[in-house]
Amino acid sequence: MIRIPREQYEAIVAHARQEAPREACGLLAGQGDRIEQVYPVPNRAELAVEFFAERGLIPPGRDYRPDAPGAIAVERFFMDPEDQFRALRAIEAAGLEHLGSYHSHPATEAYPSRTDIELAAFWPNMLLMICSLADPARPVVRAFRLVDGRVQEEDIVIEE
Amino acid sequence: MTVTILIPAPLRRFTEDRASVQVEAKTVGEALTKLDELYPGIRERICEPDGRVRRFVSIFVNGKDIRSLQGVETPLADGDEVGIIPAMAGGR
Ligand SMILES: [Zn+2]
Repeated sequence: MIRIPREQYEAIVAHARQEAPREACGLLAGQGDRIEQVYPVPNRAELAVEFFAERGLIPPGRDYRPDAPGAIAVERFFMDPEDQFRALRAIEAAGLEHLGSYHSHPATEAYPSRTDIELAAFWPNMLLMICSLADPARPVVRAFRLVDGRVQEEDIVIEE
Repeated sequence: MTVTILIPAPLRRFTEDRASVQVEAKTVGEALTKLDELYPGIRERICEPDGRVRRFVSIFVNGKDIRSLQGVETPLADGDEVGIIPAMAGGR
C-alpha cells in the first residue's frame, strides 16, 4: 500500500494529459510508503531510438526515422538524463527518498508492458506508477513494484 | 585530486550501500577504474568492455553530461562530483 496526497496524484494525471499523445514521465519521492512530491522529467524518447532498438523494444512494423520526431514518444519514454539527474539531486536536497517513477500510457491500460518490466529491472524494488488515459474522461492510475522479475500491484491510498 | 562519485541506488549493492565514494583521479575514466578497484564488478555495469560508457548510463561531472564534455577523458579537479545515472525508460 502506498499513500499520496491528492494534489500530487492530480499532478501526475495533469502531466499525463498535458503531454498526450506523448507519454509523460517523472520521478516519485517521499518517505517509506508515502509519496510526498512528484518530479516531472521531459521525455526524450526521440533521442533513444537505438537504445530501444538494440534491446528489441521497438514494436514490430514501426519505422522511427529521425525525420519523424515525436513518433516514438507516443509509445515509449526515456527520461532526459540531465533533468533526471537534477531531479534526483533535488530529491536528495529536500531530504526525501527516491521511491520510484511514473509514466503515462496515453492509449493503453495502466499495467506494466514488457518494455516497462525489462527496463525497470535496472531499478529493482522501485515503485512504478502508471497513468492510463485510454478513457480520457476517466484516467486510471495504478502502482506496481517489480520484485524478483514479477509484477506486484500496490494499492494507492489518496490522502485528502 | 579527490573527487566524489555519486552512486545510484541500483549500484549500491556493490558499494556496501554507500551513496557516495571518494577516489583520487585525474579523469572520469581513472575515477571509474579506482571505483572498480574498491568495488570489483561495478565498472562493467557502467562501461562496455572497450571502455565506452554504456548507452543506458549517463555520467555527469558537476551536473554536466560527459557526452557534451570529453567523455571518459573528461579531466577532474579537486572536489569535483561525478554522478552516475542509469536510464529510466519504458513504454506502453
Ligand atoms: Zn509503460
